[in-house]
Amino acid sequence: MTSDRNTSEHTSQNRFFIGFGALKSAPLLLLTAFFALVMTSVSWAADEIVEIEEAPEPTGDLLIATSVCEAHELRAAQEEDPSLRIEIPREFAGKWPSRSACVSAELAWDVEAPGPIQPIPFSHKHHSGEFGIECQYCHSNTGDSPAAGVPSVELCMGCHAQFPKEYDEIEGIRILKEHWENKEPIEWVQIHRLPEHVQFRHNRHIAANVPCQRCHGEVQEMDKLYLVPETEWKYGVPANKLEMGWCINCHNDNNHQADVDCVTCHY
Amino acid sequence: MPELDRRDFLKLVGVGAGAAATACADPVEKLVPYVIQPEGVTPGIASYYASTCTECPAGCGIVVKTREGRPIKLEGNPENPINRGSLCTRGQVTLGRTYHPDRIEGPLSLGGDGTQSPITWEEGMSRLTSSLQKASGRAYVLGGPVGPSLSGVIDGMADAAGAKRVVYEPFSYDALRSGTEAVFGVRSLPIFDPEKADLIVDMGSDFLATGMSPCENSRQYADARDIQKHPEGGTRMISISPRLDGTTQSSDEWIAAGPGSQGAIAFALARAVYDKKGVPEGIDTSVVEAFLSGPTLEEAAAQANVEPERLKAIADALLAAKNPLVMPPGVAGTDSSAVSTVAVVMLINAMTGAIGQSVQVPAPSDQGAPASFAELEAMVSEMKAGRVDVLLVHDSNPVYSMPDSLGFNEALARVGTVVSFATLKDETSKSAQLVLPSNANMETWGDAAPRPGVRGLVQPTIRPLLDTQALGDIALDVTRALGGSAPEGSFHKVVEANWSDVNWRDALGNGGVYTDVEIPVPPMALSLNGLGYSAPQMAGDGDYKLIAFPHPYLGDGSGAALPWLQEIPEPVTKLEWNSWVELSFATAEKFGVDFGDVVEIQTPSGSVEASVFPRGGIRDDTIAIPTGQGHTVGFYSSMEGEGERPSWLTVESAVGTPGVARGVNVMSILPATTDERGGRTFLNTRASVKKTGRFRRLALAQWTDNQRKRHLAQSVTVPEANGHGEKDHGGHGGGHHDEPPHTFTASFDADPKSPYRWGMAIDNDKCDGCSACVAACYIENNIPVVGEGQAIQHREMSWIRIERYIGEGHVGGGEERRPIPRLEELGKLDVRYIAMPCQQCGAAPCESVCPTLATYHNKEGLNGMIYNRCAGTRYCANNCSYKVRRFNYFDYGNENFPGMLGLMLNPDVTVRQQGVMEKCSFCVQRIQAARQPAKDEGRDIMDGEVQTACQQACPTNSISFGNLRDDGSKVVKEADQPNRSYHLLQELNLRSSITYLAKVNREDQEGSA
Repeated sequence: MTSDRNTSEHTSQNRFFIGFGALKSAPLLLLTAFFALVMTSVSWAADEIVEIEEAPEPTGDLLIATSVCEAHELRAAQEEDPSLRIEIPREFAGKWPSRSACVSAELAWDVEAPGPIQPIPFSHKHHSGEFGIECQYCHSNTGDSPAAGVPSVELCMGCHAQFPKEYDEIEGIRILKEHWENKEPIEWVQIHRLPEHVQFRHNRHIAANVPCQRCHGEVQEMDKLYLVPETEWKYGVPANKLEMGWCINCHNDNNHQADVDCVTCHY
Repeated sequence: MPELDRRDFLKLVGVGAGAAATACADPVEKLVPYVIQPEGVTPGIASYYASTCTECPAGCGIVVKTREGRPIKLEGNPENPINRGSLCTRGQVTLGRTYHPDRIEGPLSLGGDGTQSPITWEEGMSRLTSSLQKASGRAYVLGGPVGPSLSGVIDGMADAAGAKRVVYEPFSYDALRSGTEAVFGVRSLPIFDPEKADLIVDMGSDFLATGMSPCENSRQYADARDIQKHPEGGTRMISISPRLDGTTQSSDEWIAAGPGSQGAIAFALARAVYDKKGVPEGIDTSVVEAFLSGPTLEEAAAQANVEPERLKAIADALLAAKNPLVMPPGVAGTDSSAVSTVAVVMLINAMTGAIGQSVQVPAPSDQGAPASFAELEAMVSEMKAGRVDVLLVHDSNPVYSMPDSLGFNEALARVGTVVSFATLKDETSKSAQLVLPSNANMETWGDAAPRPGVRGLVQPTIRPLLDTQALGDIALDVTRALGGSAPEGSFHKVVEANWSDVNWRDALGNGGVYTDVEIPVPPMALSLNGLGYSAPQMAGDGDYKLIAFPHPYLGDGSGAALPWLQEIPEPVTKLEWNSWVELSFATAEKFGVDFGDVVEIQTPSGSVEASVFPRGGIRDDTIAIPTGQGHTVGFYSSMEGEGERPSWLTVESAVGTPGVARGVNVMSILPATTDERGGRTFLNTRASVKKTGRFRRLALAQWTDNQRKRHLAQSVTVPEANGHGEKDHGGHGGGHHDEPPHTFTASFDADPKSPYRWGMAIDNDKCDGCSACVAACYIENNIPVVGEGQAIQHREMSWIRIERYIGEGHVGGGEERRPIPRLEELGKLDVRYIAMPCQQCGAAPCESVCPTLATYHNKEGLNGMIYNRCAGTRYCANNCSYKVRRFNYFDYGNENFPGMLGLMLNPDVTVRQQGVMEKCSFCVQRIQAARQPAKDEGRDIMDGEVQTACQQACPTNSISFGNLRDDGSKVVKEADQPNRSYHLLQELNLRSSITYLAKVNREDQEGSA
């Protein structure tokens, strides 16, 4: 019974991988990470080589997987280099957690990547980009309330409670379940922060069809969320993202589409 | 190297500074979402729950606004027939009790070293039950009046323990109950409705400010005098009071009768009414005649030290009026013959047909009548004799509020175990062996039955913040542990079971059940034994009669814990934060004392020292001290909190020593005497005054009541209000005021394309100065309380203030400019109140002087104040003609919301920093909130969708707010009274958006109703 399931999972797993070919192999992965860093044009570019896990060295030694996630990596490495000798113990030959889950969890806790380390290696790219979950599925108040809101632990568990137990291999899932069992909230580090003298209304911007990405960046492509720096120059004045000038520029676009009265936001 | 010009240099410096700022790490802020998001709670959107105010027994309905599960604002519940949507000063700030720094964090036990240390609830409860078991009936339950359900379970606990229950309320209206019982045989509090009367004779009841239901009575009185509804001026009021109090100054005629002479006057008036009208049929006239054999009008006038003609005029007016109402004396006037006075007043009301009209005598309420003072005395003597082993104290602070002469404190020391169920620490809980803290008002279930036809529900809106339990649950647990019969389930279930006769969900949604109930007119069942006219007994032989009058906010002392009630100026004197002694100018001169000089007041029962406040509105033979201060425990109520604050914010004297009182407790120097039926008296002693030579500055919000003919608070006569005769705009005499004011249309002062020009109309004729608007503004707009030290320096931050003026004032120089209120005169009225928020001028002087454009005029006519732009030059405040701008000299916002108080801040309003100017914004956050549905639906904001906090709170509906460009709006209609409307300082052409409606002076038409 068990072996049957394992074989069938193998095939489906390969099909699944076609979906995100860019991440198929470790070298390509490194390259992507490098590009991402260059694009950010921030000062820590000097240290651009990002090490994702102990990537299997192409030696003649036998590489033995010690977890499902590692098994995914070994298989991928072998696909690149068929001479590689790998061994995947039966207990790690399963399909779950999926390779994309493994990779995104890894990247979401990448200390070298920009942005703060969150209590859970949550990847917006995995959830939003790869699975196409709508932003407002989790940030459900955005359309009705000034506050977008962060999903409750209950909402996370709404999906994750149905996942195979094998997913517990990922530390983030274990932390999530711990929080749920202890009924403790998750203390996320805020990234997109407006000062307290700004009264921002998410719902107005949703009603005006402003895409989330306009302020939050291409979230669906970020494993580790960070404030994407962006500077607009207008009238020779720089306006950084989430600063007032940046808001005003947008409000003034398209023939003053939005109000720029001070008390719209400050009271 | 190319030359760097100044412009480029500045640019580079700017970039450098910006880079430096970004390099600085911002503090890490956490986003903490719910584990399970409660149904119906959307972060960022307020939820509202109907409940009942428990600050006083009036039973006003409230709507609790909560954000993310935290109650942040209380508003009146429009469904409730008592307050109909308004809420008084005390009700507005009662929310602060839940987040108060004085809250007891968990059960405490008094150790051998005299300090209280934490214990567990199990230990506390087992000690409570075992001590009650051991006491085997030698126990008392002493507490304030509570709702019927809680009262029921406390009775159950007392029964199970064999303990006696004593309901204790310092201001218990004993005499009013006894007097009503003597006439009608029903021991209950009458319900007064000034709206149904056309003439009110107020015997010093102070029903507008400190009465039994101030919110309701203020509204009724204002409605009865609404000049639009009653062009002839409506109800007239004659007030008989030794001092100009909160109600007297709203009346049309003031008889400054001596303290204690109301009885004589009432008997004389009753005799006059009886001679003309007689008593209703079936009443034994000989009993009535024997009872009324008191002083004649002439004798009463002589005793009251007023002209007999004036009393005769009152008697004539009483007989001429269709629906006259006589209000019995209030707490400050309860003397040794108070029951007779009430009885004779009720008799007049019965003879004139007021009973069933403007006076209702309901059946006694389920809330449990407070014990009379005689019962308290009996309990204290039991305690003194060592016959009480356990004393349970809830919802009251007897150590503070019992008169010292009763010896409660010594008696308490002889009680084996004192158990306190206090929520906030107080003098009683401080000395208790066992403290089992009960939940705060926003954390508890409960109910109220203030009168027939009104049942209020109290529902919790936040989980207990600390390790406390509901008093009802404690009582149920104790009852069960003692083997008594207690209803099933928690106290919540008990309340629900008690309400099983109505739809529970509907009742919760409406805050209670309100039905129209005809209160039957009770038959007169005279039991006047031992009653009759007698001159009131005054202890001691001092030169002055001492009036201990209830402070309208601090009440019996329970309000002293709330900082807003300390800081909002008392409406009559405009004093804050401390006790004062009111002396007449002549008395002050006699002792050579002036404002702030400390005098010693001595009575046979003790002495206190307090600063002098000389005024014209008090008789020469009388001195007055407000109740409520003199606590030795409490962050705000005593000097304790001053020590926890930075030194620059405190007052110089008695800083921070725990146990040092703030002000004095006048109740401690009153003899423990009673009225004819054993009720507590407050007007019972003479006092002597001694100068100490010391000086202690008082925080006085308004230093003069002379408006110097600036026509800030205008007044018109009744014919003028109706368009007959010329309205007095320019004033008589007086320099630059002679020119006719510029006329303008306030609705022009906004962008021509804007659909809105926000504006306000304030009816000074309705305003009685209660300052509920001020309290609402404090809570809504996160205004910090600055404390006594800063208040002395006039750094109060209130965005709306109530100014009080006497008459037109005069332009005087030299001696006349003394900064002491000088215009009050005995027997003279013409007190004018004017609410002063930002005028949102169309041509605002503040805007043109701001170097950073932090204050500006917006498209909707608002005078915006942008805190983050403000650099703190204070030019705007200097240039403001109305002095409504407030400056954060210190970081009041951080310093002055200690502990959990920060949880009640309104997240929709920025908390201002040090160095920033602030002012009334016309509640722009409410305008912006109302704009959201309007935008979604593609329409303009409708009239009534925006209510400012002050407008919402106002018991008399003096304030209207809305869009001046909408001809149908209430504010436009209200402002359209050309005979009364004016703008402040119109001659300066500042184009104020607030239209004031002049006070109507009804004095000349007295008796014409």
